[in-house]
Amino acid sequence: MTEDERARELTPPSAPALRLRGISKSYGPVVACDAVDLAVHQGEIHGLLGENGAGKSTLMKILLGLVQRDAGTILHHDGPVDIGSPQEAVALGIGMVHQHFSLINPLTVWENVILGDTGKIDKGAACDQVRDVSQRYGLPIDPLAKVERLSAGERQRVELIKCLRRDPSVLILDEPTSVLTQAESAELFGVLRHVVRSENRAVILISHKLAEITAATDRVTVLRKGKVVFQSATAETGPQELARQMVGREVSLGSEAAALGLLPVEPPRTGESGTGKVETSVAALRLRGLTVTVDGVRVLSDLDLDVAPGEIVGLYGVEGNGQSNLGDVLSGLVLPDSGSVEISGRPVDLNRPGALHAAGLGIVPEDRHASGVVLDMSVAENLVMKSLNAVSGRAFVSRRKTHEVARRLAAEFNIVTPSMDTPVRSLSGGNQQRVVLARELSAGPLVLVAAQPTHGLDVGAIEDMYRRLRDVASGGVAVLLISTELEEVMALSSRIAVISSGRITGVLSTGEATAERLGMLVGGVAA
Amino acid sequence: MIAVDDISTILSSGIRLTIPLAFAACGEYLAERAGAMNISVEAMMLGAAFGSVATASATGSATTGLVAGVLIGLLIGFVHGNLSHRLEINTFVIGLVLNALVLGLTSYLITVSSFESHQVSQVSIPWLRDIPLIGHPLFVERWPVYLLIVLVPLTWWLVERSRWGLELRAVGEQPQAADVTGIRVNLRRRQALLWCGALAGLGGAYLAVGEVGSFNQNMTAGRGYIVIAAVIFGAWRLRRTLIGCALFGLADAMRLALPALGLTMNSQLLVVAPYLLALLAMLFFANQNREPRALGQPFERGST
Repeated sequence: MTEDERARELTPPSAPALRLRGISKSYGPVVACDAVDLAVHQGEIHGLLGENGAGKSTLMKILLGLVQRDAGTILHHDGPVDIGSPQEAVALGIGMVHQHFSLINPLTVWENVILGDTGKIDKGAACDQVRDVSQRYGLPIDPLAKVERLSAGERQRVELIKCLRRDPSVLILDEPTSVLTQAESAELFGVLRHVVRSENRAVILISHKLAEITAATDRVTVLRKGKVVFQSATAETGPQELARQMVGREVSLGSEAAALGLLPVEPPRTGESGTGKVETSVAALRLRGLTVTVDGVRVLSDLDLDVAPGEIVGLYGVEGNGQSNLGDVLSGLVLPDSGSVEISGRPVDLNRPGALHAAGLGIVPEDRHASGVVLDMSVAENLVMKSLNAVSGRAFVSRRKTHEVARRLAAEFNIVTPSMDTPVRSLSGGNQQRVVLARELSAGPLVLVAAQPTHGLDVGAIEDMYRRLRDVASGGVAVLLISTELEEVMALSSRIAVISSGRITGVLSTGEATAERLGMLVGGVAA
Repeated sequence: MIAVDDISTILSSGIRLTIPLAFAACGEYLAERAGAMNISVEAMMLGAAFGSVATASATGSATTGLVAGVLIGLLIGFVHGNLSHRLEINTFVIGLVLNALVLGLTSYLITVSSFESHQVSQVSIPWLRDIPLIGHPLFVERWPVYLLIVLVPLTWWLVERSRWGLELRAVGEQPQAADVTGIRVNLRRRQALLWCGALAGLGGAYLAVGEVGSFNQNMTAGRGYIVIAAVIFGAWRLRRTLIGCALFGLADAMRLALPALGLTMNSQLLVVAPYLLALLAMLFFANQNREPRALGQPFERGST
């Protein structure tokens, strides 16, 4: 971009496409948005940066009519508007590319694109429109394909086409790159630049990744705990400043970079037993030929992976390439079609419930609310859930022993809770995750599988999780870190296995792993 | 050993027993595609059967009775829809309660009232009725039967081709996604239940003022559940659902015909036969992964 272009962007043109004044929203005692002011101009990409729970999503839901604000005004081209429903948002020209939940998988592309319109269905015209929009923006897609057969990147294209076909004046993207490879992200940002520069639309890009915000946006607004804490032209600020504003304290980018979505300057060494020992020692976790089919689609095919005691192996890949299915297998939730799981050289009978736990595998599952904790049971109950024998007599669970164990674990793992009888539901995400980790580690596992262990956690909790995972590994436990965050994998693992379409496309030591090589492997190309 | 006439008789009674199922199945099929698991289809049929006989007796017109049956089906669909897809009460519980309520209410009302018998008129189609074997069963029928010729393709077209149907399917598969796209999920489900109520009501009313001409206690005898089984048997496709209805109708006809053919079987066992068949059919055909993914799941904006 030339100096002229940049200068033009720094002086925002006339009236903003969308202006929010004093928007507030509370859920009971929790304040999600607190008097937020925001002006989004035509012809610019506005980055909305904040940690999880900072209020970004609530703010956008208000703009889309999915949530009603408690106070404040929304001005659209300087006229006050009320957005009571998603239909009204569409009528105002506000379109959103959702992070999840917006395409209907069993329907075809063209059916999805016209969903939400009114009037008679014209399949031919709809298909032509899809082809038209897809050509104009360089987003190739077959309008007759069923969405469930498409890759994550292609689905993102459908989302974009669906939005752009309605000619929105304001386009909102919510964490759009979480399911994309680097190449797909680049394609996306290319399209965004085009719609902003040539078509003079306004784009709001929501993200918690600093690198993405600094690279792609013209202006940036940082939200923290529901409040706007910082606004600036992106060119006039930098990662250091943005990180400080987002977290609310001085951060050193060196050690915390990964948690903030920036590549660490140099990959830290993890533990003493690194890559060198892998060949000689017996693998603590050995997966051989794992194949899983879900709804007739092969999601894992012939997957092999070894993790040695004391090392952290990062399983990296873009979301939806089979890593969550592997997590399900290792949780005992899914029985593979074929293949074996060995722990310290002994095969595990996956047909038997609880066999993996008994064999010494601990797991921090991806969806902690669904399979990590029982939200409405107490902290103490959740902590002893997998080792009831240790706290019960012949027939009854001892409340005294349960509390003893729970108090010890809570102290050891810094679980902040009003009492041991508090339901886990009322704990913060970070503390819930500590409950899971404490329970799994208290069983003294040989192998720890951590699936997306930092999803939805704030920076402090992420750092804490990183430290604990490193400690666990240096204590001799084999750690398999399943993650879609490149920075996380780079920061923690000694080896990185890349998964693409249910296969391991390559295993690199962290030293030889560059963003480019990983990017190629993620795309299914051997590097 | 079985004469052509016997086969023709069984076929004719099979078809007559299939018709009420087919009406209701068109409704239930559409409701389930929208994700509304409508257990109360039994209540819709039974309530409509009673209402049609009572109205026919009061007005002297079987056709008016038929209309009253449709209205009662609509009413039950309206109540069910608002309770489960507006007030978010568990849809299965509501269905069971409605079924028990209608059964009790009609059983009571029939003991305290007496009705004249009325039946809708028969239409027989010239030429075609003379075709051997199938002529009489297919082309000598009470006139509402011929409504199916319109309602079956209409139901198919609504679900597969209309915008309303596209939205229904979206709502039945991924309601959260449908919602952010701007579709009113619970409104669509309530509408689907109304369609289901109207057609199940028509089915029940046809059974009473079409086939039988009177009402007796629990006269639908679980046909609503058979309809639900037929939709599962049909793997949520209309054609296979109707084949399922025909299968259950024929099984029912066999039950009635076997003693006449001189085959003696325990009568209680015979009564069980169609239900046993339904169970077996579900056992073999249920696990096909064609089920609407949000079937029976309530939708509330903001959850997940």
